[in-house]
Amino acid sequence: MADPTAEFFARVEQRGPDLLPTKARGTLRFDLRRDGEVDHWFVAINRGNVLVSHELRDADCVVATDKALFDRCALGEAQVVAAYNRNDVTVQGNLPLLLMFRRAFPSPPGTRDPRERIRERFAGRGRERERERQR
Amino acid sequence: MKPLVSILDGNTFVVSDNRGDIDPSPTFPTGLFSFDTRFLSKWELTVDGKRLSVLSVDDLQYFESQFFLVPGEPTHYVDAKLSVIRHRTIGGSFQEELTVLNHRDEAVELTVRLNVESDFADLFEIKDVKEKVGGTTVLVEADRLRLCYQRETFRREAIVTSTAPAQFDQGGVSFALRIGPHQQWQTRLRVETLVEGAGGRDIRLSIQRHHSRSPEELRQDLDAWLDRAPKLSSDSEPLTETYERSLIDLAALRYTPLVSGPPLPAAGLPWFMTMFGRDSLITCLQSLPFTPELAGPTLRYLALAQGVSLDDFREREPGKILHEVRYGESTAFEEQPHSPYYGSADSTPLFVILLDEYERWSGDRELVQTLEHEARAALHWIDRYADLMGNGYVWFERRNLRNGLENQCWKDSWDAISYSDGRLPAFPRATCELQGYAYDAKIRGARLARLCWQDLVYAEQLEREAADLKERFNRDFWVSDGEYYALALDTEGGQVDALSSNMGHLLWSGIVDDDRAAKVAEHLLGPRLFSGWGVRTLAEGEGRYNPIGYHVGTVWPFDNSLIAWGLRRYGFRHEAGQIAEAMIDAGRYFDGRLPEAFAGYDRALTKYPVQYPTACSPQAWSTGTPMLLIRTLLGLDPHGEHLVVDPALPEGMGRMELLDIPGRWGLIDAFGRGRAEHSRTPPHLTE
Repeated sequence: MADPTAEFFARVEQRGPDLLPTKARGTLRFDLRRDGEVDHWFVAINRGNVLVSHELRDADCVVATDKALFDRCALGEAQVVAAYNRNDVTVQGNLPLLLMFRRAFPSPPGTRDPRERIRERFAGRGRERERERQR
Repeated sequence: MKPLVSILDGNTFVVSDNRGDIDPSPTFPTGLFSFDTRFLSKWELTVDGKRLSVLSVDDLQYFESQFFLVPGEPTHYVDAKLSVIRHRTIGGSFQEELTVLNHRDEAVELTVRLNVESDFADLFEIKDVKEKVGGTTVLVEADRLRLCYQRETFRREAIVTSTAPAQFDQGGVSFALRIGPHQQWQTRLRVETLVEGAGGRDIRLSIQRHHSRSPEELRQDLDAWLDRAPKLSSDSEPLTETYERSLIDLAALRYTPLVSGPPLPAAGLPWFMTMFGRDSLITCLQSLPFTPELAGPTLRYLALAQGVSLDDFREREPGKILHEVRYGESTAFEEQPHSPYYGSADSTPLFVILLDEYERWSGDRELVQTLEHEARAALHWIDRYADLMGNGYVWFERRNLRNGLENQCWKDSWDAISYSDGRLPAFPRATCELQGYAYDAKIRGARLARLCWQDLVYAEQLEREAADLKERFNRDFWVSDGEYYALALDTEGGQVDALSSNMGHLLWSGIVDDDRAAKVAEHLLGPRLFSGWGVRTLAEGEGRYNPIGYHVGTVWPFDNSLIAWGLRRYGFRHEAGQIAEAMIDAGRYFDGRLPEAFAGYDRALTKYPVQYPTACSPQAWSTGTPMLLIRTLLGLDPHGEHLVVDPALPEGMGRMELLDIPGRWGLIDAFGRGRAEHSRTPPHLTE
């Protein structure tokens, strides 16, 4: 995948209203370190609508971490709150905004709807019972 | 083991023996804890190398205690020439004022020492202490001792300082003293717990470091809290005692999670000093008429953390309300799933139930509107992700096979859900009380949709679904032979037929058909379930019944409070009173502080309720129990802008007055009288 982080922000911009609470409002800036440089992602949320830019602007909540870790969060492989708890992610400002924004991160890769798994498990049994009944 | 003494402020707490010493114990968490990490595993006072003996302990406040000590063995201290007072408080940091008094008429020279260590154990590791992955270093500085733990970027640090001159070394702190005749010496020791980024050169922002409050601020806060609560006066001394104890304990159990803001109820000391969806929601339901300020922040916090995507490790699903939040090392490194963990099938319907009950009391429609999206998502979860078998019931089966909970209902120990003959059903399982909560959530969701969201179509849909659920439930769960509700359904649609306390919750939810309620009440108060001290979790005679089994025979006060509320709902005033009386009686044996659980032995066998060995105390929903019982006895229920009072007190309880009950009506007083002792009271006033 080319750039999980860029794709993540593009998706959040498109699907913001589906992912975030309808009344969500505020600004976040993600400062992502890589190769001695820092990428800025400025996210403005207004009633669930999301606008993303690369501006280095003041934000209600400033989140700093390594680009590599953020890529993993963007893919659902790592979790931003756990990373925050181990100090891999630092937050300045309005922490609840980040806790709200975590909704935008995807499920871990390979996650399936739990109901599907159970349907599959019991589908076989259902067919067996059906056959018994027909006999 | 010596009796333990605890003080706490939010999720920072100290558990020590009755000398004030902390020695690491694998079975019970002694130590100084904060944010699920043990910051002190040893805190041991000696005078001239000898440990001390206790004369007495004063539990002054929940955040303050005082130990009176003398050197030497208990047999020798009678004519002690020296005494030691440890006065400790907790308020953000841990402080201990150490006073040494010389009773001789000559000067003494002595060495006072505190041995200090930290293992930085995660609360999850206490029972099974492991080799730590990270490293601990002890830094001795001129004026402080720093105990540091580091694992990659994860850092925790305990800093020990003293107001009096001290010699710090790797193992603790010493004071070489000379105390004049009839003089005293004093120092104030302070242990600061840093959760993150402290000390080192690359200090990162440590917003996790919580706000420290002085004992004086804590005292004022407690006074204000007690002042806001309704005043109870009653002829029943045990009732007054347990109510007052509960108010203080509930104040003690408030904590502020990572997101700062108003405090929320944590679940219990010492294992559960954190946010549990189920415990916090039920505690708020119990305490709404008394301390309504907890409910709004709890709902907001749970809404903020509501799931929107799937996660197998954390058992998260869209719309689901969390089960447990932790901040310790094992959670941070994703070895444990609590960031947050969503493994409970009841917190989601309970969220909707509390939202409605909160509105009924407070009239705060704004919050109901603010949380409309989350409440709808929760209701949606009931029909989608909870219905694993696709047959219209709430089911659970864990997806986290490593450390997820097998039983995702309040009886969450592995053997809690069984057939009458003791067999355990396969997964998924649908326990009965979950269906009751789902029914209640739909009924209450409909009320909110009509009243606050102006969505009549949705309200009618929810009501149809609820009616349908009630009909199916009464067909599928009713055990006709025994005339009670099965504990659960299995995947074949068969009844998991143990007789249990769970059906008491069904009365509270209103899912019980009217013509069956009397049978349910009869079982709950019958000899197999009712021990005399309360309703057992599992009936005597069931395959897995064990009077000291965590969820298979013990009596849980919170369970009983919901059962009493349910009995009252169906008009069983006498039976509700019987349970309330048993609980209030039991409370007398615990100084008014009902524990998490006590043994299910018959009351005729044990003249006092036997506390369950590792029970948490204080525990939030046990603390809420006397409050809900008082509500039930007085028959308090909001109707529109009014509070209906319809007392039904047991005979012999005498008079009860509850003044200044807060709510949308402002403040209202309620009165009730038990019959027997006031025979002149006309019967209609007591019915």
